[in-house]
Amino acid sequence: MKKTKNEHSMLSNIIFFVKLIFKASPLLVIGDFIWGILTIVPGRLISVIGVKYIIDVVAEGERLERIFWAVGAIAAVLVTSTLLSWLYREFFWNVEKEKVHYNLNKTLYEKAKNLDQESYDNPEFYNNFILTIESSSDNIQNLLGLVRNYVGNLISLLAVAGVLLTIDPICLVIILVFIGGFLPLSRKIGDLQMERRIDNTKFHRRSDYFQRIFYLQEYCKEVRMNDISPILMERYNDAADDVIGNQRKYCKKISSLYMVQETGIQILGFMFVLPLYLGYCVLVKESITPGDFVAAFNGAHSIAISINFLTVWAVAVFSERGKMIEKYREFIKADFRIRDGEKKAEKGEPKEIKIENLSFTYPGNDAPTLKNINLTIKPYEKIALVGYNGAGKTTLTNLILRLYDATDGGVYIDGEDVRKVTIESHRNRFAAVFQDFQLFSCSVGENVALDREYDEKKVEEALRNSGFSKELKKGISTELLREFDDEGQMLSGGESQKVAIARAFYKDCPYVILDEPSANLDPVAEYNLNQAMLDAAANKTVIFISHRLSTTVNADRIYVMEKGEIIESGSHAELMAKGGTYAYMFNLQAEKYR
Amino acid sequence: MARTRFNEYRDPDKKVPVFKNVMYALKLVWQTDKRLLICSFVNMSADMIFSVFLQNILFLKVLLGIIDAKGDFSEFVKNLVLFLVLSVVIKAINWTSNYIKQVSVKGVLKGLNNKVFAKAIELDVSCYEDPEFYDKYQRATQILAWGMFDSVCSNAGSIVAGIISLILVIGTVTSINPIYLLFLLPVSLVFAVELYKSKLVYKRDKSMTTNDRIKAYVQRTVFLKDYSKDMRTSNIFAVLMDRFTAAIDGNVKILRNYGVKLFLYSMVSSLFSDFIPTIGTYALAGYQFVFTKQMTVSAFSVVISSVNAVQQAAMRVAQSFEGLSRAAFYFQNLRDFFDYEPKITSGRLECGEFESLEFRNVSFRYPSAKKNSITDLSFRIDKGETVALVGVNGAGKSTIVKLLLRFYDATEGEILYNGRNIKEYDLKSLRTSYGAVFQDYRNFAVSVFENVLCHECTEEEKVLAETALRQSGIWDKISSLPKGGDTVLTREFENDGIGLSGGENQKVSTARLFAKDFQFAVLDEPSSALDPIAEYNMYQSLIEVTKGKTVLYISHRLSSAVLSDKIIVIGGGKLLEMGSHAELMAKGGEYCRMFTLQSSSYNGKEVNENEED
Repeated sequence: MKKTKNEHSMLSNIIFFVKLIFKASPLLVIGDFIWGILTIVPGRLISVIGVKYIIDVVAEGERLERIFWAVGAIAAVLVTSTLLSWLYREFFWNVEKEKVHYNLNKTLYEKAKNLDQESYDNPEFYNNFILTIESSSDNIQNLLGLVRNYVGNLISLLAVAGVLLTIDPICLVIILVFIGGFLPLSRKIGDLQMERRIDNTKFHRRSDYFQRIFYLQEYCKEVRMNDISPILMERYNDAADDVIGNQRKYCKKISSLYMVQETGIQILGFMFVLPLYLGYCVLVKESITPGDFVAAFNGAHSIAISINFLTVWAVAVFSERGKMIEKYREFIKADFRIRDGEKKAEKGEPKEIKIENLSFTYPGNDAPTLKNINLTIKPYEKIALVGYNGAGKTTLTNLILRLYDATDGGVYIDGEDVRKVTIESHRNRFAAVFQDFQLFSCSVGENVALDREYDEKKVEEALRNSGFSKELKKGISTELLREFDDEGQMLSGGESQKVAIARAFYKDCPYVILDEPSANLDPVAEYNLNQAMLDAAANKTVIFISHRLSTTVNADRIYVMEKGEIIESGSHAELMAKGGTYAYMFNLQAEKYR
Repeated sequence: MARTRFNEYRDPDKKVPVFKNVMYALKLVWQTDKRLLICSFVNMSADMIFSVFLQNILFLKVLLGIIDAKGDFSEFVKNLVLFLVLSVVIKAINWTSNYIKQVSVKGVLKGLNNKVFAKAIELDVSCYEDPEFYDKYQRATQILAWGMFDSVCSNAGSIVAGIISLILVIGTVTSINPIYLLFLLPVSLVFAVELYKSKLVYKRDKSMTTNDRIKAYVQRTVFLKDYSKDMRTSNIFAVLMDRFTAAIDGNVKILRNYGVKLFLYSMVSSLFSDFIPTIGTYALAGYQFVFTKQMTVSAFSVVISSVNAVQQAAMRVAQSFEGLSRAAFYFQNLRDFFDYEPKITSGRLECGEFESLEFRNVSFRYPSAKKNSITDLSFRIDKGETVALVGVNGAGKSTIVKLLLRFYDATEGEILYNGRNIKEYDLKSLRTSYGAVFQDYRNFAVSVFENVLCHECTEEEKVLAETALRQSGIWDKISSLPKGGDTVLTREFENDGIGLSGGENQKVSTARLFAKDFQFAVLDEPSSALDPIAEYNMYQSLIEVTKGKTVLYISHRLSSAVLSDKIIVIGGGKLLEMGSHAELMAKGGEYCRMFTLQSSSYNGKEVNENEED
């Protein structure tokens, strides 16, 4: 996650990415080279060489039939190049691009999936991360387009320049002087564009947020019940005004620079000085023919287009792309803080989990979230973690799962430091149902098994144990959510939670972590869940977090946490007898049931 | 039927009135900021007339005319200077209008967004739950996000500019030899071909929509924090990657299927736009050079250049047409969105002091649902009563809340507020007379005080907000922040903002209720994210604030129902039981069963529960 100071050059970044595309599909890159040449070069050359040839033949006045050969050649080149271009585009390019997109994104996603959980807490890294993923398909599209046009323009530039050289070298000198004089402006324009975009992103983030509020379903009730929309609109307008101000600030400069550049090269150079010289040569010195005049003039125009592309556009886009790719490379190279151990952990029977002197501070925070935690969980024990909001209960389970690594102390399973085994095999020992669990837009079966293949009977049993009773049209192969399947099954909060809980019942593993499993459940479902947990999870170690102390009564051991520390522990009876925080909390809740 | 309408809408062949929609879009822009439209036209015209006509045709024609006539060099220079001045003026106009355009684009974005927001607030809640409409809304907002109105202006300007430059070029060619128009005019056929082609491309893209949605979804699950933990502790990633692969394969297949047709269209398009004009012009000019000797060098050059110019202008016009027809499709969504008439219409009456609320034989079915969510439900709540709404998940409790807040209207029966149908009341007045806290509460990225009061607040008002925050038990935390109650919630775009935990957030939104001068409180599981002590405190505060007021609340924790005056037990959308805690316990029905179950864990008694129901 460290930032590399020594950024790569723009060129190195571009080459890096083109290589990536090349690796994914060599033919696509080669094809685009040729395509670029086919679409750009023939037209440009015909307007210079073709016209000159015909005019010169006419001027010579001999063997005029040569004109028909020329016309025939022009027709042949035109038809062939167009035919080949379209064939390539519709039959190869479209398809291959999709495949390259797949290849590159697959690598990216694999990388993303293995990122440390803490990456999501680091806004700077996270922003880059999103940018990298989102820009990846743009990168492909853009770079291919650039490569294509770059090659096409470069080759036609060289060819046309060669023709001009044979006509009169001074023409070329004039062209180069003007280009050299106004070229540096492009870089300045590119920098300004980049700055503007960065500034705008900042303001847009704010305006987008307020736009989202009006559009997201989850806010619609709140917005309707409270008269909060005027202030939201006002905040949006503030952000929009910032965008306008920013736009004004940059666009004035950018437009002026563009104007100076275009006036310099296109007008002063190619429409004044160059024709002045050519006119002098034709009319006064009579050193060149009218055919040369046309060729030189058309040539200058074609060079202007090429140069405009190669400098203004390509450089601006290249340098922006380059920066995107820089982020991409940074992301691909990002280091993991949570490192794999060497050994593979065995699933087997539950073993003793021991947490020793464990302390943890979230990156970027000053105060520790967990302070010197010590506890031992014996095999098959059902452990409850209770305590105030923000006491560190969820963080503790995150550390057990190695979503984060301890700042101090450690977690030991069967006496072995969890950092010594591979992350995958370690996490595979656990089934975890998080407070903010998510359902995926996959089938019910896949949602329970969280895997490609699943045992249907086992899934059904797990759903039964979690109390899921919703009738499904296609049984457990029914798709959930309507992300892309309009027939997908929507579930209520309680039903969703039952699906999530079923994951714990399904997974064949010795340890189960449940973070507030009954928050969305009604009393009957909660009661049934408690029972099912005792029965179906009898041969597992269970760690659960709960605010409803009715669920903790049957726990073998209860740990009460406050401000990152364990302040009490013991069975329900012991803690009640002790009359401490737990007893106080329990009585508060139980009071009205008596 | 909603279902068929939805299918129709997804049909790629469905036609939208392109011209009408484009005019609609231009009118919207015109009303918001005239400068954008004017500058788009000026900018496009200046740009195109310069590059298509002035630079390549007129300039060449004039200069070559002098050379052909072996004219005077000073004459040549004079013309050059004239062109220099003219060109610089055009460039100045071009870039000035470009600058104004770039700035006014953002102004139009702001103006249009404000219109969208104003409309969004009017929308029925059902719109957000109806995928068809929501899809439209999303597309309508995309119009703004993608700067589509900007491109509509540019495209419209580009068409006008293209036609002007075409006329200029064709005029020039006609003055040389009208017969060349024979080769130039086929270029216009390109429009028809491109139109068919773009329809095909649209159809193709449309058939890739589902796959693209899958691709986007997989991408989202990879980078959103919400999914990160599940992703890391399970093998779901493999499942998602399978989906991703399948989506790509699907797209590849579709692309292949359309390849032949698109290739043919492209070739026909090239025939008209490229082969006929270029080859024809060269051939005819050659013929004239060789046989009729009617051709001059300057005329030849100008004719050849005009082929290029016509192609360029025609291509721009064709692209602009395509852009417009694509935009027309999106603007149809915007039109539908703005034209939407809310089904929940406001009445005229102002809500007086709350006396009673009555459900009279209310039935309700969600649009497109097959079964009723609520069936023949009747109950009454009187002023000062505390009523608990109890039932298993999916019994219809939240639906009742939605009905009485008029997020939906009852399908049958009526809901009476102070004896009159709630439809007769002014919507805003009705909703503000309730204080509501939802299960899925939300806070906003404005300051804590503003979150509580829902408007910008003066120092005096802040005291009120502070009291409310104190009552909901979060003031200690808030006051410890450097900026106190002025701290902005979420760190999304303020570095000194604060991200609160679930429970803390819930307390802030509950404070919103406390600060409100409500008649009737509706609490939909307000304590689900709280720890026991916070929950207890929350209930204490709720009892305090709602003293003497009417309260309807939904809670899974029956302990809170004990103290209420009336308990309404719902099951399967129907009323099962109603009465006080004591009455219902004595009756030994559903409530009694649920309560006994729950209290057993607190009292340590064993209950024999048949799990079948």
